[in-house]
Amino acid sequence: MAGHSDSSSSEKKSGEAMTDVPTFSAENLQNNMKVIYYSRTFMSITGGVIAGIFGFTGFVGFIFYFLVMTITSIGLIAKAKFSVHSYFDSWNRIILDGLMGGLMSFVLFWTFAYDIVHIF
Amino acid sequence: MGLGFMIGVFGVLILSHAAYSTIQYRGLLKIMEEEFSGPPMNVVLELLLGFFFCIWAALTVPGNFLSIHPESEENRLDYLKLMLFFIHTSLAERRHTLEKDSVGY
Repeated sequence: MAGHSDSSSSEKKSGEAMTDVPTFSAENLQNNMKVIYYSRTFMSITGGVIAGIFGFTGFVGFIFYFLVMTITSIGLIAKAKFSVHSYFDSWNRIILDGLMGGLMSFVLFWTFAYDIVHIF
Repeated sequence: MGLGFMIGVFGVLILSHAAYSTIQYRGLLKIMEEEFSGPPMNVVLELLLGFFFCIWAALTVPGNFLSIHPESEENRLDYLKLMLFFIHTSLAERRHTLEKDSVGY
């Protein structure tokens, strides 16, 4: 009787331990991060070209970049059907990841497009 | 993915045409000795259209999101295999423990 209750309590403990540790597929998470990276990079380039054509200079260009990234984040959240935790382990992945890397691509193509359209 | 790629290419072409139109517009402003304050409205609409086509391509071409939860429908087979492995290991450990106890008595 005591042994039976001991085994059931140890089963409950191991069950609790199993439910406490979140498990997810790392391979699928990596795939999802790759999708976000490609999307953000392409949109950074597109945003840079548009900023260059418009003739934005200085601070306005950076504001435009963050506007483009916000729209991209909204698009990615919609692609995840607004249930981010089914595809990512944190909201930061879909909102902040790839932001600074994309900024470099944006500045490159912004400068390039501005030079072609307005200077040369 | 094919349609998304074509929409992306079309978006890039529209942006290229907008850039060309802006260059022509700047040339005209130079002749008229006026300052550039912004592209004309038709170019702005072209840029918006190109932007939307590009964002569509950016969201569809790289691929779909995959669920990270092992118990979701698409991961069900992997989840069942993992559960089978855990059950098998747990039973093997219990058998080993029981055999050890019986030898001890």
